[in-house]
Amino acid sequence: MTVAIDDGLWSAIGDPTRRRMLDLLLASGTGTATSLSEQLPVTRQAVAKHLGVLDRAGLVQATPAGREKRYGVDQAQLERAVAQLNAVGNTWDARLRRIKQISEAISKSK
Amino acid sequence: MEFGSIEREIHVEAPPEVVFEVVARPEHIREWWYAESEVEPTPGATGELIWGDGDDPRAQVVPMTVVVAEPPRLFSFRWTHPAGEKAVDGNSLLVTFELVPSGSGTLLRLTETGFRERGWEVAVLEQQYAEHVAGWETFVPRIEEYAVGLVSAR
Repeated sequence: MTVAIDDGLWSAIGDPTRRRMLDLLLASGTGTATSLSEQLPVTRQAVAKHLGVLDRAGLVQATPAGREKRYGVDQAQLERAVAQLNAVGNTWDARLRRIKQISEAISKSK
Repeated sequence: MEFGSIEREIHVEAPPEVVFEVVARPEHIREWWYAESEVEPTPGATGELIWGDGDDPRAQVVPMTVVVAEPPRLFSFRWTHPAGEKAVDGNSLLVTFELVPSGSGTLLRLTETGFRERGWEVAVLEQQYAEHVAGWETFVPRIEEYAVGLVSAR
């Protein structure tokens, strides 16, 4: 398998509001829908929905905190996302080597 | 500094006409990408890249749409857009092969862009990590590795 893109993960971090939320969670360690909505130009309900997407992608983890859930960034999953970006570059290197080999073989046989 | 793209260059000892065929024609894409494809190198042509896996011949199916096909100097396509959606800036990655005659061969330039729009602003996150280093000692070196990999390719 040469496609190094996990669509769930990528679409989760593809949204600017969700990336901003990850940034805020990284900055403060943890946060709730309420604390995040205070720092963002969106409603608490919208933040809660975004947190659900991040949670399903495994990028945040929730722990109960009173009537709310407290969220923190899942470091392992975030690392995985970066590893995927890295893998994209590496897989292109391998593809280009094959393109070179095939082209040169065709050229020689002419 | 632009972190949102991948750029590579490779010299191929074959004329641009040959290299163009290899990067653009489905029968060659099968060889270098291991993907089944029936997408002809014609602007607007659209279809699927299909990877099989053991028993499942369609284990991974990814849409692909040709943007530019100007043999033998330029071939570009978009891919990874959601099935059924038209490939546009923001919902897909754009791959461009530029072919420049070089001696008796070809300088092949690859760029892939759209990560920033589609995915993850590595540059922004890197800055965040630098400012909030606690717990990120294992992570930052990987970001640097990634960034250096991108930058050293230019």
